[in-house]
Amino acid sequence: MRAIGSVIFFLVCLLAMGAGAANVGQSKHNLSVTGVGTLTANKSAAGASTEICIFCHTPHSANSEMALWNRYDSRASYIPYSSSTTKATIGQPTGSSKLCLSCHDGTVALGMVRSRSSPIPMKSAVAKMPPGRSNLGTDLSDDHPISFRYDAALVAMDGQLRPPPTSSGVHLDANNQLQCTSCHDAHDNGNPSFLVMNNTASALCVACHNMKNWNEGSHRTSTKTWNGAAPNPWTHTTEKTVAANACESCHNPHGAGGRQRLLNYAAEEQNCYTCHNGNVAAKNILAEFNKPSVHPVIDNTGVHDPMEQPLVPAGANRHVECADCHNPHASNDSTTPLGAGVSGALAGVRGVNVGGGAVSQITYEYELCFRCHADTAKGPSMVPRQFPQLNTRAEFTSSSGTNSFHPVVSAGANPNVPSLKAPWNTASRIGCGDCHNSDSASTPGGAKGPHGSAYKPLLEKPLSFADIGSNPGNSALCNKCHNFVNTAWPQHLQHMGMTSCLTCHDPHGSPNPRLINFNPNVVTGARSFQAQGMSHGSCVLSCHGKDHNSKY
Amino acid sequence: MNTRKSQIIVAAALFAAGAWSASGASITGTPHDLSAKGWGTTELCKFCHTPHLAQAVAGAPLWNHATTVASYTLYSSATFAGVASQGQPGPTSKLCLSCHDGTVAVDSFANAGTINAGTHFISTTNRVGSGNSLSSDHPIAFSYNAALVAIDKGLVTPTSTNYVDVAATIPLFGGKMECASCHSTHDNTYTKFLRISNAGSALCLKCHVK
Repeated sequence: MRAIGSVIFFLVCLLAMGAGAANVGQSKHNLSVTGVGTLTANKSAAGASTEICIFCHTPHSANSEMALWNRYDSRASYIPYSSSTTKATIGQPTGSSKLCLSCHDGTVALGMVRSRSSPIPMKSAVAKMPPGRSNLGTDLSDDHPISFRYDAALVAMDGQLRPPPTSSGVHLDANNQLQCTSCHDAHDNGNPSFLVMNNTASALCVACHNMKNWNEGSHRTSTKTWNGAAPNPWTHTTEKTVAANACESCHNPHGAGGRQRLLNYAAEEQNCYTCHNGNVAAKNILAEFNKPSVHPVIDNTGVHDPMEQPLVPAGANRHVECADCHNPHASNDSTTPLGAGVSGALAGVRGVNVGGGAVSQITYEYELCFRCHADTAKGPSMVPRQFPQLNTRAEFTSSSGTNSFHPVVSAGANPNVPSLKAPWNTASRIGCGDCHNSDSASTPGGAKGPHGSAYKPLLEKPLSFADIGSNPGNSALCNKCHNFVNTAWPQHLQHMGMTSCLTCHDPHGSPNPRLINFNPNVVTGARSFQAQGMSHGSCVLSCHGKDHNSKY
Repeated sequence: MNTRKSQIIVAAALFAAGAWSASGASITGTPHDLSAKGWGTTELCKFCHTPHLAQAVAGAPLWNHATTVASYTLYSSATFAGVASQGQPGPTSKLCLSCHDGTVAVDSFANAGTINAGTHFISTTNRVGSGNSLSSDHPIAFSYNAALVAIDKGLVTPTSTNYVDVAATIPLFGGKMECASCHSTHDNTYTKFLRISNAGSALCLKCHVK
């Protein structure tokens, strides 16, 4: 009977909540003795408050700010959000945000209200907002910016913002400023965190943010879930898929570890690792970066900046982060052969074209590699060369008419390459990633791309650099496309038993035909190679103490 | 006429006018009982009311007190949707402000129609509208009607131009909210002369859907 009574009472309470979902009394913002949260007034203390509104509002002698505010302004001076990419003018908190901060910066006692001569005593002797996600502190640089004007001028400067919201749940204040209240409704906890609208799939975030290519991106569309193995990739949401977490897979609107751009973690790669470690995304990319030859994303923190030039400098600030090669807003799972264009993994990234000019969106993979490995290549070369050239852009480009190159930037110059294995032919184009790739790439389900490999320098298959002792087995990389039997020069197999392919061939490109660019540490003497028509040539040089003067 | 009789007559007149609280609680002993202050009268009602020779103040029942002439800075906020219909405090609120704004002495009541200047002013803690400003007080003298509710979206729709609620606990005055919408001058049952107990902010929630 009693149980039925409580059910009826509960139903009556529900009815009493009215048409709107708003019911501050049932939310954590009810700090009175009847509150449902952990922070409530002390029932047994003198001056206990059963009033709910009193913690923020008073009908008389209110704070002059607004909203019949019953609290004293925090005297804190705040560190506002700032980033190299924001175009907004962000100063000290204004307007309604100051009201929120009069509890949420943790400097003012929760029960300290203007209408009482002494603070309302709280349960468990809590005075100020305890440390935690609700206590933003006075350093707001790890929180979404507030108190900035969001107008057409900002939208134009930013380029990735929607026009100021008018009809969605998100709203600006009377001065067209974005405030805490733009995203939060202090009276309505119908959506978690008092959000003004449901944020599944980041619907709230995208009411303002309009990232290029986001609609096509896998981070928006993927229905992948977490396998439950630590660490939890989604620590600050209750959503269960990549698509449902959307922005918050990487970004955190409050207490962001990365501050600038509100990334979850300060270490850039960590933001990617939490899903790309085999626990959410299909491939374990984190494991790739533990291999002997890697793009060293772990080496720097806080150096990469989206505002940097496409051409990464050779000296100071040289770095690589995941975001140097991938655009997490745009990347998707579409595939394109490397020589033919750009796969979804590299969608919407910047680069340097064959002429050395910056491009905002690459059309070939090599344009991405040229950011670091062309005009600003660092060196030293792994193999010393008769004709040294660190700039791969120069190596891959036909300049003399007699030079040679792997067909990355354009189809190859030599119409007669009998060693090529099908499906490759002399009209084929390849990409950097056809050689520089994960050693797992040919394993079914293995990670792809030049993240890391067992074989230096980030090669898909073994390639010996040693002189004496090389054999065809450790020229597996070259053997991927070239057979060593059916070649124009009959002595290939004989030489491969004694030295590396790299002793004579410079795989990116050479001023000589046939990619001949001798390693002077091995090849001495005249070091002369002359191509003499199709499938013929002559060498004058000295190797292993023996002079050669041969024609074929 | 003796004092007691005049009290009874005024009380009867006011009761007939419907201004008395239905609870029947007494003003005696409340902060509005100034009869023992020694401020020129021992009569309870006289500070505000008289049965004869009342002041000609519109909307004031048998008024016997000097009336404030202050013009106030009104409450305003970016989100206050009632601002369009908001005016200076209405007659009923002006009666309250005639003591509470601190411009008129509390003992500036009339003897046989002639108003005393008075010397006792309300304490600063009990002032509302001091400095001619009502800007930090809950707005009054605005039309509280369905049109306002449609704009605000966080308000209960009043049942009539006379009351907010069906139970008729929160009165409106010509469709407007005034001091007396929340306060009942003669009844301090709930402290601060509130019309109902504000436990659980029940009074606030009579109008606000929060």
